[in-house]
Amino acid sequence: MRHASSTRLIWTLLGLTFAAIAVFLWSLSAGAVHIPIATIINTLFDLDGPKQSFIINKSRLPRSLLAFCTGGSLALSGAIVQALLRNPLASPKIIGINSGAALGVLLTFILAPTLNLNWLPVVAACGGILAAAAIFTVAEIATVSPARLALVGIAIGMTCDAAVDFILATSELYEVSAPLVWMTGSLWNRGWAHLNAVWPLLVGLSAITLLYSYRLDLIRLGTAQATSLGLNVRRERLVLLALATLLAALSVSVVGVLGFVGLMAPHIARQMVGGTHRGLLPVAMLVGAILVVVADAAGRALFAPLEVSAGILTAMFGAPFFVFLLLSNTSEARG
Amino acid sequence: MKRNIFAVFGLCAALATTPLSAGEITHEAGTTDVPDDVQRIVVLEFSFIDALASVGVAPVGIADDNKRDRVIPAYTDIIGDEWISVGTRKTPSLEVIASLAPDLIIADKTRHSAAYDTLSEIAPTIVLDSLGGDYHDSVAQMAVIGEAIGKKDEMDARITQHKATMDAYVSQLKPLSEGLSAQFGVTNATGLWLHAPVSYNGSLLEMFGFDSTMKPADGDVYEKVYVPTTLEQLSEVNPDILIFGAYANPSQVDSWKGETLFEDLTAVKSEKVFNVTAHNWSRLRGMLAAEMTAADIVEIMKQ
Amino acid sequence: MALRGQSSSVPLKISIVCLTLAISCGTLFSLATGGRTDVGLADIFRPEGMARTVLFDIRMPRTCAAALLGVNLGMAGLVLQAITRNPLASPAILGINQGAALGLALGVVLPNTIDLPLDLYALTGALTAGVVTFAISGGFGGKIDSLRLVLGGVAVGAFSYAMVRFTYTLDDDIARSVIRWTVGDITDIRWSETKRLAVWAVPGFLASLVMAQRFNLMALGQASARGLGADPRITLLLGTIVAAALAGASVTVAGPIAFAGLIVPHLAKFLFGGDHRVLTPTTALLGAALMLFADGLSKTLTAPIEAPIGVVAALMGAPWFLWHTIFARDVS
Repeated sequence: MRHASSTRLIWTLLGLTFAAIAVFLWSLSAGAVHIPIATIINTLFDLDGPKQSFIINKSRLPRSLLAFCTGGSLALSGAIVQALLRNPLASPKIIGINSGAALGVLLTFILAPTLNLNWLPVVAACGGILAAAAIFTVAEIATVSPARLALVGIAIGMTCDAAVDFILATSELYEVSAPLVWMTGSLWNRGWAHLNAVWPLLVGLSAITLLYSYRLDLIRLGTAQATSLGLNVRRERLVLLALATLLAALSVSVVGVLGFVGLMAPHIARQMVGGTHRGLLPVAMLVGAILVVVADAAGRALFAPLEVSAGILTAMFGAPFFVFLLLSNTSEARG
Repeated sequence: MKRNIFAVFGLCAALATTPLSAGEITHEAGTTDVPDDVQRIVVLEFSFIDALASVGVAPVGIADDNKRDRVIPAYTDIIGDEWISVGTRKTPSLEVIASLAPDLIIADKTRHSAAYDTLSEIAPTIVLDSLGGDYHDSVAQMAVIGEAIGKKDEMDARITQHKATMDAYVSQLKPLSEGLSAQFGVTNATGLWLHAPVSYNGSLLEMFGFDSTMKPADGDVYEKVYVPTTLEQLSEVNPDILIFGAYANPSQVDSWKGETLFEDLTAVKSEKVFNVTAHNWSRLRGMLAAEMTAADIVEIMKQ
Repeated sequence: MALRGQSSSVPLKISIVCLTLAISCGTLFSLATGGRTDVGLADIFRPEGMARTVLFDIRMPRTCAAALLGVNLGMAGLVLQAITRNPLASPAILGINQGAALGLALGVVLPNTIDLPLDLYALTGALTAGVVTFAISGGFGGKIDSLRLVLGGVAVGAFSYAMVRFTYTLDDDIARSVIRWTVGDITDIRWSETKRLAVWAVPGFLASLVMAQRFNLMALGQASARGLGADPRITLLLGTIVAAALAGASVTVAGPIAFAGLIVPHLAKFLFGGDHRVLTPTTALLGAALMLFADGLSKTLTAPIEAPIGVVAALMGAPWFLWHTIFARDVS
């Protein structure tokens, strides 16, 4: 495990912040419709001249902000789960959130087909939290090892996935076309309403998580050492699991199943600044945010007017890179 | 709650500032104020093209799945090919729609209800149940669209003319279809989906006097619109006339040829199996589409 | 769970009775159900006619195919668990099924660019996924850590599914095809496909039987195995080939079917103890019984519309997997 010096951390953070700002600005200019820079500036600052108020103010701006928030939150959630399970291959998917949310959404469509589609995020968040709660219960009652916890999470996830496949295979596809798009991790049709519903919570939870970085370091040392250093490991683990669950479930509820960010972003961050969470968490957050903003903007620009879901682009371009990282540095990955 | 308040404000503002409004159109997602003299229309389902073409109006944007040939010559002869593709019907590009600066958007209930609020921010939007409805619903939707685009009289005239045309087809076909059952199905590489009596095509066949043998064993009718069907189930449905639309070549149905159970089907034995264009029958709905389907059926009954 | 050499806590006679009953009931269940309710088991004795055609041309090949799939998947799971010495090793957990699904989805979406049979896409996908899972869990470095293997499999599986689901945003027609291909579907199986399964099942079964003693030694640990004259590397290589062939054959015929490969060997160990010479035939038979029931359920659960056998098997297997991860002693 490398421990980066403070100077290195500061430079990395500065660099990433600049990159994030640059990517964010670029994302405002990328899309199915070409808009000159002058028009973008006119629209953003309400100056005189040609404007594109819907596309910039109501579509791209909230989408990119939402991508930024959810990307950062998913990355944080992934970093927590990886620290708790002491395994760099873990991700929010391990605590069943994606599968639980997907099952919740599809079940609602089958059981209450008349429900307004605006409820979809609420249902998704409930599904994800329920699945995670089931895992909590097992962890709490059986006081199981991290490895066992991971397996229980995988099993609950797979059970939900089996039910999702069952529903998909036996229902009429055109009726579930909206949840199907959501399941690919798409920011299509996301706007200020979605952003306003989640950003205060996500920012708050992220702040709490950053305050917890020291405890995450202790927990990574192992239960015995952490306890000897005066930490109530059991309680801290539950609090951290709850944080990871809420961060991921809220993100998934608005942007759909964006599976790979929580796995990749912390891993990339670890390669940059090492495993100490004081540095790892903010770096992972920025990396995750950049990933999703780029994926979303590229998804609407690449094959316009077709929309490619952000979840597909993060998987398509992120996964090979991730495998390369893991293979090229196995000793690091074993950390 | 908040949205409702805004909606009320919005409504007041609209009432105060836009005396032009042609009237309120009631549709699946509520009521929408549509301005007079609508010029730029974006449609997000194929049946809405049919409606516009019926009265000679060309949309500026179509969710044509980015495949322009999905808008068939029967439509392009009327609407030209000047339209801009706004992407897929599932996730039409909201940016492209906005860039077209439309003054009316026509969306589908199943696919676009979730985007209704956003679409309404771009332009007045009406939502109709194109995918889930049968033939009679689709004609009723034509009238709503006619009213929304300010061509109520032309549309009503066209609907009257369409009904006359269809009545002529019905009286031509009824004597021929007497006591016969017919079934339409779509087949791709992996399966066969029969269109049940409640579906668009099922309701058309019913109107032309054909029976449906499509009933599960317990005597109920299928609740589903599109029913996945195995060869064994097909042998039980066993209609007098089979009409297939194939999306793949070879299709699942092709792979059944030569099997005893398939060759023993009434329709196969009496050589009453017909192939039609899957796209026209399955994806297109509306008046022009229905007249084409009727012509296909007349052609079939001549054989 | 019983370890190698330990005998089962269930008396042998009861186990044999259970197995026989399960197989016969499963066969009857699978044969008696189908699209036509007017065709039943009694029609077997009819000399000719439609009912006979239905039974002999439609239902029997499908029933045989279900049984053979169970044999193939159960054996593949047994061999994988033996050579990785990991009780959770199975195609679904290692991402192999999802890789096959991705291959199939690519085959459906890109038919015009590369004209290859879908089977080849499925096999390539399955193989790639297996190798990647193995690689990122450190398998090529020597030691395979159980949890890493599973987490690697989940990551590979999640990636594959993210890509498969991309097709859901395309045409409904394409989405329908992809779902049919990727959930494990045998509604349209005829004798020719059944024969293809049998061609792989028989040599696979014989090979596993011949290697049973090697698998027993493997369970003692690599060093002991070497000391007793069975080079574990050769066992690993041969076992991988056998498992790949068995799983591959079932994927190309029916598409990916989850969990059967995982739970059948565990059930067999529970009923018959840990000796692979006994386990090999009993796993095969238990696998057949399980899939026969799954086939019967797939035809009746959502009648008159069929639920693909793969999702039924997954629904049967997933809760068991969950129970196992919570209570079994040998998983972590």
